[in-house]
Amino acid sequence: MSVQDILDAESELTHLLGAQQAVVLSTRIRLARNLDGLPFPGWAKVPQRKEIAERCVDALTELPKFRRGHVLRMTELQDRERAVLVERHLVSKELASGKSGAAVISRDQTCSVMINEEDHLRIQVVKAGWHLRGTWHIAEQLDDDLGGRLKMAFSERLGYLTACPTNVGTGLRASAMVHLPGLCLAGHMDKVSRALNQDGLAVRGWLGEGTEAAGNIFQISNQQTLGLSEDAILKHLGGWIKNVVEQEWNARRKLAKDEGERFSDRLARSFGLLRHARLLTSAESMNMLSHLRLACDMGCLPEGHRHIVDRLMIEGQPAHVQVRAGEELDSDGRDCRRATLVREALRDFPEVTAPTA
Amino acid sequence: MSQPLKCSLCEEAATVHLSQVVHSKVTKVHLCEACAQKGGATDPAVFQLADALTSAVMAAPAITCPKCGFTDIDFRKRGRLGCPSCWEVFGDVLGGLLTKVQHEPEHVGRAPAGILPSGQLRRRLEAARREMEQAVTSEDFEVAARLRDEISALEQQLTPS
Repeated sequence: MSVQDILDAESELTHLLGAQQAVVLSTRIRLARNLDGLPFPGWAKVPQRKEIAERCVDALTELPKFRRGHVLRMTELQDRERAVLVERHLVSKELASGKSGAAVISRDQTCSVMINEEDHLRIQVVKAGWHLRGTWHIAEQLDDDLGGRLKMAFSERLGYLTACPTNVGTGLRASAMVHLPGLCLAGHMDKVSRALNQDGLAVRGWLGEGTEAAGNIFQISNQQTLGLSEDAILKHLGGWIKNVVEQEWNARRKLAKDEGERFSDRLARSFGLLRHARLLTSAESMNMLSHLRLACDMGCLPEGHRHIVDRLMIEGQPAHVQVRAGEELDSDGRDCRRATLVREALRDFPEVTAPTA
Repeated sequence: MSQPLKCSLCEEAATVHLSQVVHSKVTKVHLCEACAQKGGATDPAVFQLADALTSAVMAAPAITCPKCGFTDIDFRKRGRLGCPSCWEVFGDVLGGLLTKVQHEPEHVGRAPAGILPSGQLRRRLEAARREMEQAVTSEDFEVAARLRDEISALEQQLTPS
């Protein structure tokens, strides 16, 4: 199993037709866990990290969820293959740049477990669209299955023990990847971001910590992991996401009403550009694709075309284009391949019309 | 000439300076470029963490984890602990930090399968006893009976077999 197989496979986020929703692109649950009695990866010696990796990989590959899945050791991959995994959110930048990290990924790419990142185990589950409870139940089941095979570091008073004090307790980070072009265009995003921050939620860019919000896409997640039950954390995030989705729809409807023809003109221009450009940078395509997704949500383009836009957002990223090409490309080469990928995918799209939503 | 400011998380020279104003109280954090990028200088949790780290650990005497050799100086540099046992060894230092970056300093969530989350059970037992007293006082015997059953079930679970 290789990174090429991951690219070629029909995954949850790229090919699951009908799962895509307006505004919320995906729901993600992450659990931080550590083996009892062994130093955390950042402090462990090389032989200890090897032992940790072996024990974790053995336990994970026994689970039904990872049957016919992928076991990837970071040192055995090329730079651009690791970059593909980061772009797909299957592993973090930190894991990809380390020397003893590994990832075990389920066949449908909904579950991925990072080994020897900041903690021994980072269990991640992702679903397309907004499915907080369903995603949580899969993670909970994985955690139970894994807990039956490995003794986890746990304290009665502090819960699951982690390397960083910001993850101790539940070790739970729940998040939603949201597309907020309405709030961005209306200039309300700073305000929304501040309100979320003040109520214990973090707002980050498309690729997580410290990244720019390309394509008006933001990741919203809980900050606190200790002193709140998993249920309380999920309820708190769930309530806010519902609120943000409502605000986003209000902003979109107001824009469509106030701007009239200008609203669809903006979306149609982006469509025209994507449909005909011969060179497309990553940032430009993300921002134009954001308009296209908005067009699908608003009824300016058929809603059934939304999954194509989502797939292009993932497959148009630099390392994806590079690995697909199978040869070393310079920046123009990548922009050319990206433009071709987008042009071909949009060939059968109809004209952008006035909004109906 | 004044000394260049040092990063709050490591010993490097700080080039990123953050100020946060909450209820007219100003907190300042200085980070080197690497720590700022790594932690995401825009993330309020990092801000609180950096602040708590400097104030909590600076005042503490040198402590070493007997299990893994990790010291409080290492913690100040890395912001991460060495091993699960460090949580007990650095208990006092971390206690103050946790109240700043976390909701409450005690876990109320899940426990591994097979391990009894006895801390939570004990807390629930205490609460159920109080509730039962109240129910008896207000002569709400239906509620009292239900609580009595819950209490005996909890007591049974907490008795080591």
